[in-house]
Amino acid sequence: MKRHLLRRRAVLASAGLAAAAPALAACGPDISSDEEGGGSADALQAPTADSPKGEITIWDRSGDLFEVFEGVIDDFNAVYPDIKVNHVAVDIDAKLQNTLITGTDVPDGVFLDDAKIGGYTDYLWNLGEVLKPYLGDIAQQKIDVNTVDGAIYGVPYDLNPGLLFYNATALEAAGVDATAIATYDDLLEAARQYKAAVPDAGPIHLEQSAFLGQLQLEMYASQLGTSIADADGELRLDSPEYLRILQFLDTVQSEGLGTRAEYLTPTDVAEMDNGNQVFYPWAIWFSFAPQQMLTETSGDWRAMELPAWDAGGPRSGAMGGSSFVLPKDGKNADLAWLFYEFLMYDEVGYTAVWGPSDTYPTGLNTSIPAYEPAADPSAPLFEPVEALGGQDLWAVATEAGAQIPGGTPTPAWWDGAVDYLGNDLQRMLDGDMTPEEVIDSSTEQIQTNLVDRQ
Amino acid sequence: MTTVAATHSAGPSGRRRRTSTSGLRRRLAPYVFVLPFVAIFLAFSVYPLFYTARLSFTNWHGTGAAEWVGWDNYTYLLTSPAFWSSLGNSAVLWLLIIPVQLVLGVLVAVLLGSAKLKLRGLYRVAFIVPFVTPLVAVAQIWVVLFDQHYGAVNALLGLVGLPDVGWLTTSAWAKPTLALLFLWKTTGFIVIILLSGLQSINGQIYEAAEIDGASKARQLWSITVPLLRRTVMFAVVLQTLAVFQMFAEPFVVTQGGPYNSTTTAGYYLYNHITRADLGTGAANSFLLVILVMVLSLMFVRMLRAKD
Repeated sequence: MKRHLLRRRAVLASAGLAAAAPALAACGPDISSDEEGGGSADALQAPTADSPKGEITIWDRSGDLFEVFEGVIDDFNAVYPDIKVNHVAVDIDAKLQNTLITGTDVPDGVFLDDAKIGGYTDYLWNLGEVLKPYLGDIAQQKIDVNTVDGAIYGVPYDLNPGLLFYNATALEAAGVDATAIATYDDLLEAARQYKAAVPDAGPIHLEQSAFLGQLQLEMYASQLGTSIADADGELRLDSPEYLRILQFLDTVQSEGLGTRAEYLTPTDVAEMDNGNQVFYPWAIWFSFAPQQMLTETSGDWRAMELPAWDAGGPRSGAMGGSSFVLPKDGKNADLAWLFYEFLMYDEVGYTAVWGPSDTYPTGLNTSIPAYEPAADPSAPLFEPVEALGGQDLWAVATEAGAQIPGGTPTPAWWDGAVDYLGNDLQRMLDGDMTPEEVIDSSTEQIQTNLVDRQ
Repeated sequence: MTTVAATHSAGPSGRRRRTSTSGLRRRLAPYVFVLPFVAIFLAFSVYPLFYTARLSFTNWHGTGAAEWVGWDNYTYLLTSPAFWSSLGNSAVLWLLIIPVQLVLGVLVAVLLGSAKLKLRGLYRVAFIVPFVTPLVAVAQIWVVLFDQHYGAVNALLGLVGLPDVGWLTTSAWAKPTLALLFLWKTTGFIVIILLSGLQSINGQIYEAAEIDGASKARQLWSITVPLLRRTVMFAVVLQTLAVFQMFAEPFVVTQGGPYNSTTTAGYYLYNHITRADLGTGAANSFLLVILVMVLSLMFVRMLRAKD
């Protein structure tokens, strides 16, 4: 009897919950029968007051870059004394999405990977109006990755030009003149020469991480003026440019000219330090390795522009990068714009970011400004790099950065493509797929699983 | 007299009021006591559950209005090789982890439960240390130890003439390597659970068995194992949930690779969420909930059947 009563109560309780829950769940996102939304083009206007006042909350990733930006706040306040900057170190990837969806405690400005901006455009201010005076002086590639449906959603921060890092000492000892490398064919030939002199070598780095491998592939593609999708989100993987890049990587693999390793894992570092891996085509941020990780060969490495795909062609492509976005729900996004304007387009601001600081005594040398007047090859912001034999990395990087072609937007689903393109690329480097198969398989899977499901 | 009468007449009715008030209080008290729990349960369990259910029928990327797509997300997942592959990966990990962990756990618990063992406290602490050590730190050590070319494990294999193994870089070995990490990290916790089960076994049963001439092995097989069955089943349910929801290990050590061979059910779900494919993620989490519920019920049934 008691059991029967208990069951009845349980049923009643469950029914009550079931009745209450849909009402509760009605608080979820609005549902439309047809797809709505798309990028809103609300344009942010700069404040007009002579001395703007207020408080802004700025989110940055924790770490050294946070310290760098923290150091600029005093300079900003010297110009805008009535704007209080609440600078917060946040795990942006973990918090931003929920914060924007719920609209609770939304910051006024956020540091964000370029590849992620496309996914948040409904929540962000269109910065086309405020950026107008600077657009002509910003690297086109950065404008493209921040542009969705004609609106610009990020204040471009850094440019990450691809460079060819090489172990000058080891190559010289093997009789290879790296400075003569001008095209990828030259690079292959130099690698063959080095391999002949050092038979155990795998001279060229072949990235083994699916994510970074795809990022590097996009660097090569950017150099050819293309990317995985066009501005309308249409796939363009099935193209002569991608085929050419994959064939190059396949040649490196099949001729034994590469070292397969994940970026800066113990194997990768050891193969560089023992002189087996001497060419590293990567973004400027690889400069961190000789400075911090290569104990045996630090000082032996140098950087040059990437080889060109065709003689006389562009000598660099973009690999990664970040920008600043301003959420619409932030209380003082217009004041946050002033902060970023100062940081990126005021000489005092960008000098404080890339120049010598407490965090980086010789300057921040893992990226260059996206703002061309700040990226003047003859006016270095950071100092020559000791770990690169005292080389003027600034000049190399800014000259390379100026050659990066535009027209290479990043789709919102870029990360998801790693499961297909990133993995297929690795299968090719394992010798299990041909370049053509990579293109066919990845195109079909990305179209089905990502593009068609947006 | 009037006063007395008035007092007398007021008495029973006042008592009735008091009685009825205290009766109401008594009847309400349990509900008041459970109210905080119910409120929290509604807010943090029931509401998200129904919210997720609703979301699972939409195409929503975190911005704008969600588009109602009916069963599309479920159909997509149930016909997606990647979804089944993630379940397959979790199932293989379950097979690699649970049987080994139970055998090891029982043996170690019996050893640690032995009164003859010196420094028992020290060993118990030693076994639980991996469980309380932050996974990220352990995972970094794993990456270094199992590096294909410069890791200590391959160096040891090299000493006995064995070739290098791509522990974290080949599909064949990545799952066992991850399973080993999970085993090392969580077996201490299982040992503690089993140890508590062991301590609940009446010592007189062992004394009687000893008088009857049962060997230690016989006692282990015929007394300890059967009487630990409930505890073992509890551990199996716990670890099944943990394995199917496993996320941090592949996230830190292999990022689901190589070729998604360590993309567990939990990690696959995470991928949908971080890529803002929230409708598919919600459908995926519902399918996982159903799977885990079925598995748990199955184990509970197995436990009841023997009772």
